[in-house]
Amino acid sequence: MKPYTLQAQFQADMDCPKEVVMWNYYDHEHLVGTHYKLYDKARVVAERNDWALVFRSKRMPLLPFHSSGIGFQYMDGNTMKSFHKDSLGFFLETEIDFNDLPEDRCTIRVTYRINTHPFFRVFEPFFKRLFEKWFWATWEEDAPMRIRRWKVHKLGFKEFSGIDYINRKIAKPEHLEPGKYVFDPPVRTSSPIKTVQGIERPFTQGLELGYDE
Amino acid sequence: MASLEELKKTSQLTRWLNDHDILLYEYEGQIKALSNICRHFGGPVGYHKAKNGVFTCLWHNWRFSCVDGSCLSHPGLPLRQYPVKILDGNVYVDLLG
Repeated sequence: MKPYTLQAQFQADMDCPKEVVMWNYYDHEHLVGTHYKLYDKARVVAERNDWALVFRSKRMPLLPFHSSGIGFQYMDGNTMKSFHKDSLGFFLETEIDFNDLPEDRCTIRVTYRINTHPFFRVFEPFFKRLFEKWFWATWEEDAPMRIRRWKVHKLGFKEFSGIDYINRKIAKPEHLEPGKYVFDPPVRTSSPIKTVQGIERPFTQGLELGYDE
Repeated sequence: MASLEELKKTSQLTRWLNDHDILLYEYEGQIKALSNICRHFGGPVGYHKAKNGVFTCLWHNWRFSCVDGSCLSHPGLPLRQYPVKILDGNVYVDLLG
């Protein structure tokens, strides 16, 4: 029997270059930080420059339980492809297309697909609703992170160091020339995310005071 | 940077001032100011209210002491402390101090 493909596609624009968004999608450590309400565990099982094999445990909107699974993701030009087999047995294929827009903006199109038995066709409206909620829940948590990452980059931020004029207590230079934002995976880390224990979210709730941007 | 009244509401707030992101807070009766920019990837250290004398950065959970901004996750990468002055019910932060 020919499998049926459940599919949902979403697109949105960001006020930063596409390389910042690529970094965000490749940064597995932020899952239990920025997305602490959704993800509770993450582990990078194996990783090279343009691919990663990742274990994630999360709770999706509309579902009353956590699901975990192994995902493989890699870069194919300006597209990130991700394959995720979860503990329920579904095999989710995701394509994320990154495209530049003028004035350091970009547009991101995400396509979710599950090839499954034709019986599951009746669940297509639920599938679309589930992934619509998932896309926007993660997008809204990631958007300020991307915008801030771009902002501090323009102020001369360097990873594992910070902003020179702040940390060296000197006047802000009149002209900062931070250069183009370069996406250069894998994302540098010093946490146990690449070890057998992985990382877990440190708390399930916090009093959020938010960003001032 | 803020009035004492504003600070009293949550005992912690953040604000960008001349391209410095400042985390203003009250800890053990003292008003203090730190850089709100995590030295890991630039995340917002004061997004969550401090717990047990520790700030935890939203993005990757790096931890910093409320006492002096020292980094508990990566000693050697403390947050900058800014001198604070209180005048007529307002809190001023010295960006050059």
